[in-house]
Amino acid sequence: MGLIDKNTIKKLAELARLELSEKEEDSLRGDLDKILSYFEELKEVNTDSVAPMSGGTFEKNVYREDKADLPKRGAIDSFPESEKGFLKVPPVFE
Amino acid sequence: MNLKNLTIKKFHEGLIEKKFSAKEATEFFFKRIEEQDGEIGAYLSLAKDEALKGAAETDKLITEGRQVSVLAGAPLAIKDNILIEGRVTTAASKILEKYESSYDATVVRKLKSELAIFLGKTNLDEFAMGASTENSAFQKTKNPHDTTRVPGGSSGGSAAAVAADMALAALGTDTNGSIRQPAGFCGVVGLKPTYGAVSRHGAIALGSSLDQIGPLTKTVEDASIIFQAIRGKDEFDATVVDRPFKIPDLPEGVTDLKIGIPKEYFIEGIDSLVEKGIGEAMKKFRNLKIQFKEVSLPHTKYAISVYYIILPAEASTNLARYDGIRYARIPSVPENANLREIYLKDKGAGFGPEPKRRILLGTFVLSAGYYDAYYSKAQKVRTLIKEDFDKVFEEVDALITPTTPTPAFKLGEKSNDPLSMYLADVFTSPSSLAGLPAISIPVKNYEVGSGELPVGFQLIGRHFHEADILGLGKLYEKN
Repeated sequence: MGLIDKNTIKKLAELARLELSEKEEDSLRGDLDKILSYFEELKEVNTDSVAPMSGGTFEKNVYREDKADLPKRGAIDSFPESEKGFLKVPPVFE
Repeated sequence: MNLKNLTIKKFHEGLIEKKFSAKEATEFFFKRIEEQDGEIGAYLSLAKDEALKGAAETDKLITEGRQVSVLAGAPLAIKDNILIEGRVTTAASKILEKYESSYDATVVRKLKSELAIFLGKTNLDEFAMGASTENSAFQKTKNPHDTTRVPGGSSGGSAAAVAADMALAALGTDTNGSIRQPAGFCGVVGLKPTYGAVSRHGAIALGSSLDQIGPLTKTVEDASIIFQAIRGKDEFDATVVDRPFKIPDLPEGVTDLKIGIPKEYFIEGIDSLVEKGIGEAMKKFRNLKIQFKEVSLPHTKYAISVYYIILPAEASTNLARYDGIRYARIPSVPENANLREIYLKDKGAGFGPEPKRRILLGTFVLSAGYYDAYYSKAQKVRTLIKEDFDKVFEEVDALITPTTPTPAFKLGEKSNDPLSMYLADVFTSPSSLAGLPAISIPVKNYEVGSGELPVGFQLIGRHFHEADILGLGKLYEKN
């Protein structure tokens, strides 16, 4: 228990660019601690010579022609801000 | 019109025999929705004008004596994490409240080509994260069998719409049980196809190594019809594998199939009604001369831990795109906010508690110093869970289990305890992690207090062997 302290929550929220209230930080800290301690059961499983499974069933490379399609009109309309058919982003460096 | 017993098959026959028109049927469903949905809350949005336009198209073809598909004019409901062009798709999240879809999901495009009709978009747990539909940012859906109980989730709106005769059938998505568990709670059929059987293009991604789209229907036969219509290769989803699919002839095609009973699913602590239900289902299969064999899947108990490491990892990655720049932006983000403030405030105000919990959990298990202990470990145990299934499928053709450990629980019962909500998926999780097809089929309703609640059972098949479980399910439902 106690793997997640207040600073860890703040750091994770910063990494995920998620603004949290003081109250949210407290309740999420408790939730995460409880959930992570449930995961402890995995320690009893021997996985020494086991390969990780990343999902999928019969995955293999699928090739297609490397060409760009212009986004459909609707895609641009749904941007919160656009200019001359381009996505508008606030300055990154100020 | 009697909507209660109307299936896709009967609906199609009624149309062809001109017992009713598609327009009449569509209007009838909207009337039913007006009467019922105030109490049930299955739909987030309706599209009456477009639906009636679609119905008129089918009616015209039928009047002209043209052949139409079995799904032509069929009024369906679509879970609101699947895109329909020009319609708002919210994923039941404030962060996408104003997001208008600019294209059709592949499954929607395929259903449109069969002239199916979409009545509306149904409620879900926010971004399909939940097992009760209580995590929706907009409304709580009630179980039509008992409105003090949840419909299950995350496809709770779709399951409730079908169970309350507010749609002929519906589409849902299933990442860890989100089609099968609500199907079980609402007394309808729910199919999660094999990972790689149906394109997810245009479904809002939750866990990309797990997500599948599938039908919620009144009968196994209807589930086969929709599965057949939506499956198959798609240039927009590279995980889809083209495999032949043909429902076997009954009963010859399925009587040789052997069903395994995995002992780990018959543990103490399952509800007595669920025990009764699964017993009844097995008795019926035995009477139909289906052979059973007890088998063991020793890593079953680790599925929830594995899932709740892998899923948040994938979800935190998938949800990073909702940043207030490329999709809708929350109105409370200040006009002159800089880029960093837009990110922080849009996500902070846009995501509800469960997405926030999983974003942080996913960020944690992927972070330096914890990756090996959590994420990598979970991926390895996932391999062991899959290998358990590989082994038993050398001896048996399908597995039978309860769909859920309990019938539908009360609204609010688990909503303050995330871990107990996570455990509601304990019987549907292992097959999801292994990518296997699985179906929930209702047994019957049992008396609970002054009302009745449905109980369902689950059949799990080999990869791309939907035909086996659908065939067994059809045999079950015809007898």
